[in-house]
Amino acid sequence: MLDQDSLRRYEAQCTQDSPPQCRINCPFSLDCRAFLTNMACGKLAAARAILERHLPLPHIMALICDHPCEQACLRRDFGGAIALHHLEFSCLAQTTSAERLLPIPPKRHKMAVVGAGLAALTAAWDLSRKSYPVTLFVDGEISELLLCQFPNLEEARAWLEEDLKVLLRKVCVEQKTVTREALVTLAQDFAGVFLDASTHPALAPAEAAVDASTWHWQDGICVAGWRSLSPTGHTYSLPSRQAGQGREAALTMERVAGKLSLTAERKKRYGNLHTDCTQVERVQRLEPQTTQWGCALYSQEEARQEASRCLQCQCLICVENCPYLQKYKGYPKVYARQIHNNATIVKGLHTANALINGCALCDQCSRLCPEHFSMAELCLAAREEMVARGQMPPSAHEFALEDMEQAQSPGAFLTWPKPKPGASPPHWLFFPGCQLSASRGEQVLALFAWLEQKLSGSDQAGLALCLACCGQPAHWAGQRKLFEEQLARLRDVWQEYGKPTILTACASCLAALREGLPDLPVRSVWELVDSLELSDLPKEARFPLPKTFSVHDPCAARDDKGWQKAIRSLAQKLGYTLIEPKCTAETTSCCGYGGLVWCAQPETANSLVADRIAQLPGDVLASCVMCRDRFVAQDKACWHILDLLLPHLAVAGTQRGPGLAQRRYQRSQLKARILGQTIRPEGEEVALASDLAETLEEQHILLSDIITALEQIEAKTLWCLNKTNNHRVGAWRPRKVTFWVEYSKTEHGFLVHDAWCHRMLVPGAGGEDAETVIAREQSSSS
Amino acid sequence: MGMLPEYRPDQGEWLCGRCKIPLEQGKVPVFYLNSAFDVILPRCPQCGFTLVPKSLAQGKMLEVESLLEEK
Repeated sequence: MLDQDSLRRYEAQCTQDSPPQCRINCPFSLDCRAFLTNMACGKLAAARAILERHLPLPHIMALICDHPCEQACLRRDFGGAIALHHLEFSCLAQTTSAERLLPIPPKRHKMAVVGAGLAALTAAWDLSRKSYPVTLFVDGEISELLLCQFPNLEEARAWLEEDLKVLLRKVCVEQKTVTREALVTLAQDFAGVFLDASTHPALAPAEAAVDASTWHWQDGICVAGWRSLSPTGHTYSLPSRQAGQGREAALTMERVAGKLSLTAERKKRYGNLHTDCTQVERVQRLEPQTTQWGCALYSQEEARQEASRCLQCQCLICVENCPYLQKYKGYPKVYARQIHNNATIVKGLHTANALINGCALCDQCSRLCPEHFSMAELCLAAREEMVARGQMPPSAHEFALEDMEQAQSPGAFLTWPKPKPGASPPHWLFFPGCQLSASRGEQVLALFAWLEQKLSGSDQAGLALCLACCGQPAHWAGQRKLFEEQLARLRDVWQEYGKPTILTACASCLAALREGLPDLPVRSVWELVDSLELSDLPKEARFPLPKTFSVHDPCAARDDKGWQKAIRSLAQKLGYTLIEPKCTAETTSCCGYGGLVWCAQPETANSLVADRIAQLPGDVLASCVMCRDRFVAQDKACWHILDLLLPHLAVAGTQRGPGLAQRRYQRSQLKARILGQTIRPEGEEVALASDLAETLEEQHILLSDIITALEQIEAKTLWCLNKTNNHRVGAWRPRKVTFWVEYSKTEHGFLVHDAWCHRMLVPGAGGEDAETVIAREQSSSS
Repeated sequence: MGMLPEYRPDQGEWLCGRCKIPLEQGKVPVFYLNSAFDVILPRCPQCGFTLVPKSLAQGKMLEVESLLEEK
């Protein structure tokens, strides 16, 4: 169960929500990205609204801020930091305020602010905006006091006066020389007191004596706004620092007044927002043509250009590379929350089921993510939990699990030659995997024969064959128990053969065996082949093969350096040239077969394969037959490594792989061939109307389902007749699916015009007596 | 009965293969994942054979199945 703690751990791993460096470095947490977005599209009023929302005394700050944001800007190394300071100034210079403050009832806690430095005025600004009654105690004219520290405001007196006018609408000013005794009295009369250290250095303690996280000095009195000291011993006023301290102190005063903890939950903790700058092109910072009051003034067009240089820092590195992560319009942090909510929902719809079952579990995201966020881990855990609670939608994986069952059935499962008592045990057990056996039986046998001959006489002689499924579909479906059952069966086989090294030709099998049977010796067959002498491999090619390929690593082998190296080495030894795509080896992309997405969400699987194809120029070399067949199904020429090793048995790179029904048949056929038996091709008496085969595959209706349905429909008269075209339509429900077949009887058998299926149980459709079904279902539900 | 969803054959005139009598629109309870509801479908008034038209199986029925799977 994804509990609150693990959810938080997952959420903390994804930094997409974290603010960019510019915002972190701004003491007012200015939303620089949003400000620049508006500036870049000429929405000056909206940009101004953002400044007014975040900045205290916005005109003054826009003029004199020392802009720490720019020092942290990631654009800095690519043409110079974004001129945020100039842009803020230009925005305010070219717009007028439209700010409408909502009337808020005054709060009961009275606040006193002593001094007229930037820290004091910021504290007064913030507190008055939150409707605290604020009294500002000054000893002279506010503007003059401020000008003492910031003489460059003199030129822009109009702006200075404008901010002060807004401030003084809500703040009472009292002329008073505040002494130490007076400060004590103020602390008694007011709920919070602020003292500006820049205008009252004699009253203020040393900066080091005050807690820098709260600026609380003593007895409800906050102090902040000290002038800074240069290395040469000069004092100077740093606006962002002083005003930032004022803002923090104001927050403390509220907490003092409300008798709240001064430190708890004060600052939200964020991870470091990762931004990939590897593709960023250099664009030089735009220097404006005009200045005003010593500050650069951009024209609207210049401002638009300069703001457009903003990188709009964000991570999304996983999302940009994965169509599945793009599909749900969020990012892993959001998805983790949705998946958690899905598991904890009591009433209502489990709307994240599709999110959970749409992941290919390929784990590319965790390799791309600087924090290694794994959607695969999250989705697999969620699937296992759904299965345990009985909430997994039956339609998601049932068909794939039936396919696994067929590969494990007596019709397809084979260990050969049988272990002989007394004979020396084989050194190797070749495990080609159920999909390679289903589509490349001829090549599997040829490779087996070549290996057997190559190894004979060596100290590594002895090779046996196991045609079976590794159980990975059960693992992907979240069926942990079923997965373990498959693995236990394989362990038995391994023990029967005297514990040989297992050689897999499928990356998913390799991953499943390594995870589920970690104590068994397992390696890829490609590594063994690569270690052998290759000169006696057949040279004559059945088809002309290309000389250059884009190499595509299967996602299940992303961590398997041995696999990746062997494929490259073999291709090179055989005289081929390989091109590495952008996402390769550890960061390779999934073809859409992984995680049973092909079964649960074919449309998501198709977008994954289409995205991968777009990354691969020319013909592709795959080392997983499912990748190969999925590429070719989308008209991308793709060859399997076996086509290079055994060119006399090559399958053309454009020839589509077998369909779902044909795969099952070919698995059985391979077993029969090894045992010297023949099996009748299925459905000789059943003809399909043109184009029907593909439609049936899409609906996961197999030819064997149709054959069985027809047998039962005819034998039990489970059909009705359409008098207008003389077609019969009948239904058979062999398991939790009802199959409908529309057909005509022909001289040799049947012509199938159409077929469809549904999971819903409809009494009177599927073979069982309608009344019996109704009685059973109604009694089981009551 | 007038309020129940009703689905007719996609086309044609239909006879029950077993009873050789025309199918008639009739109320049938259907079941999926602990839910049950009534619909009106073409069925044989004698043996209860019920026809699920393709348009229903691939349309509304699929939609309801998905919805119930999310419950």
